[in-house]
Amino acid sequence: MSSNLPVLLFIVPFVMGVSMPLLTANRPSWCPNLTLGAFGIMLLLSIANLRVVLAQGPIEYAFGGWAAPIGIAWLNDSIAAIVVLIISLVSVITQIYGRLDATNTLAKSIPYYTLILIMVSGLVGIIFAADLFNVFVFLEVVALTGYALVGAAGGKALVYAFRYLLLGSFGATLYLLGLAHLYVATGTLNMADLAIRLPELMTSTAVAGGLIYIFLGLSIKMALIPLHSWLPDAYANAPSSIAPLLASTVTKVSLVAWIRIEYSLIAQGVEVSHVPVLVLLEEIGVIAALIGGALALIQTNLKRMFAYGGISHIGLILIGVSLGNTTGFAGGMFYLINDAVMQASLFMIAGALVYYHSAHTLEDLRGVGRQSPWLTGALVVAAVAMVGLPPTGGFFGKWNIILGALEAQHYFAAFAVLASTLLTLAYFLKIFSCWFHQPQQTPSEPLVVSNALRISLGAISISMIALGLMSDTIFQFLIESITNGGV
Amino acid sequence: MFELLGTLIQRPNFVVFVILFLWGIYIMAAHPNLVKKLIGLYIVQTSVIFFLVAFSAKDGATVPIILANSGLVDPMLYANPLPHALTVTAIVVQIATLGVSLALVSAIYRRFGSLDEDVILEQLK
Repeated sequence: MSSNLPVLLFIVPFVMGVSMPLLTANRPSWCPNLTLGAFGIMLLLSIANLRVVLAQGPIEYAFGGWAAPIGIAWLNDSIAAIVVLIISLVSVITQIYGRLDATNTLAKSIPYYTLILIMVSGLVGIIFAADLFNVFVFLEVVALTGYALVGAAGGKALVYAFRYLLLGSFGATLYLLGLAHLYVATGTLNMADLAIRLPELMTSTAVAGGLIYIFLGLSIKMALIPLHSWLPDAYANAPSSIAPLLASTVTKVSLVAWIRIEYSLIAQGVEVSHVPVLVLLEEIGVIAALIGGALALIQTNLKRMFAYGGISHIGLILIGVSLGNTTGFAGGMFYLINDAVMQASLFMIAGALVYYHSAHTLEDLRGVGRQSPWLTGALVVAAVAMVGLPPTGGFFGKWNIILGALEAQHYFAAFAVLASTLLTLAYFLKIFSCWFHQPQQTPSEPLVVSNALRISLGAISISMIALGLMSDTIFQFLIESITNGGV
Repeated sequence: MFELLGTLIQRPNFVVFVILFLWGIYIMAAHPNLVKKLIGLYIVQTSVIFFLVAFSAKDGATVPIILANSGLVDPMLYANPLPHALTVTAIVVQIATLGVSLALVSAIYRRFGSLDEDVILEQLK
């Protein structure tokens, strides 16, 4: 039983998604409950999975009993276990949040829930896959459901979903091209097998080209600057009930796929025609962190501002994992987990603001702080986490990335982390200055928010703080798994 | 220069792949019509599939089915099945993408009454 947990984690949302039209054909009101139930089972399974990995170390799951280079393998290691746990948690919370607007036609549509469930199963697949081609297939599962979910809002969102589709599919094609290059050079697609064969082939242009294509393809998927242009429009116009899940998981999981490839294939000090690859990746991360933060600062639309904040955090995580030392890597991974939770929280707040106050821009926020104590509390916690103050997880992630940068003596990277923190602080000050602005008219009664919103905002705020309080344990766990040759 | 030409002539498949790939990107970027953009995307995807098929082609090779009485197997006599399996999966992904994209395009047409990107962007403002 315990060895089948990765597959069960994939199958539960997948089977539920496929059978949703059958189960609920005559009773559409069951859809939200069944979806929530599937995510709840996933959450329990992923907790069990984490316990198994903690007890037994990394486990390789061979499909059909065919061992790795010949068969298809999934790798159930500590990073996969933690990221899957966070994805399940975020799915449960955003699904509760999705009940906020029960009158919306989308909330009653069966295909909508099918798409959400299949997307989450694809995310689980990307995280566990230890094989480049499997990653491609699951990336496309996630991307296709993502296009449909963004487009489900109708109107403007259709155009942005189409743009997302063009860029996303082009990214996937680049990834496939890179994978083909690596296959031509090595004759294998299994990551562990590639890690054995690639180091001596690093001088080959086919291998270098393949890695570049893979990186470019995944950069589009993870919205790394300057390939981010699809993200802000798509997520700002996506349905409010699904935007938190999309924003918190899709880009982060694509980044996890790249981190696995980077960690197993690009060792410390690898150079392709005298360019140290890891340093190059780190500099790309620096650029993304700084430009993303600066772009967030000049936005006036709240959702777009949060989307750019997420883009700048992708850069921060890339800095952390590309420093080439354990502290930085663990910091980057920890920040990735935190960022998933923070983005979900921010988009939930932005969605609730649209629902209760029809507030889209910073101007619309004036005086909201007086009416909505729940939203204020959640926004304060999210802001503290985004800026990176203890006791939230954001602080410990950034702190370790900076420690790693100092350890590697890459002072510019450390500076970039601090500068992007200041930029984050700046745009949250902009938000709060409007938020607590005294309105001209007498303040109305505090707004009564629905229980769904209270539970989801409470849970996500608690998990942000809990991640900070448990940061020591998680770091020990991450560092142990890295030094044991995991990932 | 002549060396480069020589290498290119020896690799006609690769040249075709590069031409198709760049052509597709050009169509995606240059044409304002959404369906033509999709055709561009389709050409890019097909060029990569062509690349996968081209490098796995083998002269005089047969289907990789090993019979019980085949004896010692010479790999040179059999085509490599893996790239073909990849190709089939990639085609499936491509068709799924095409389905979703056509659904989006038809929804855009119903909503905006046009397939021209310039007209649609004008309406978005």
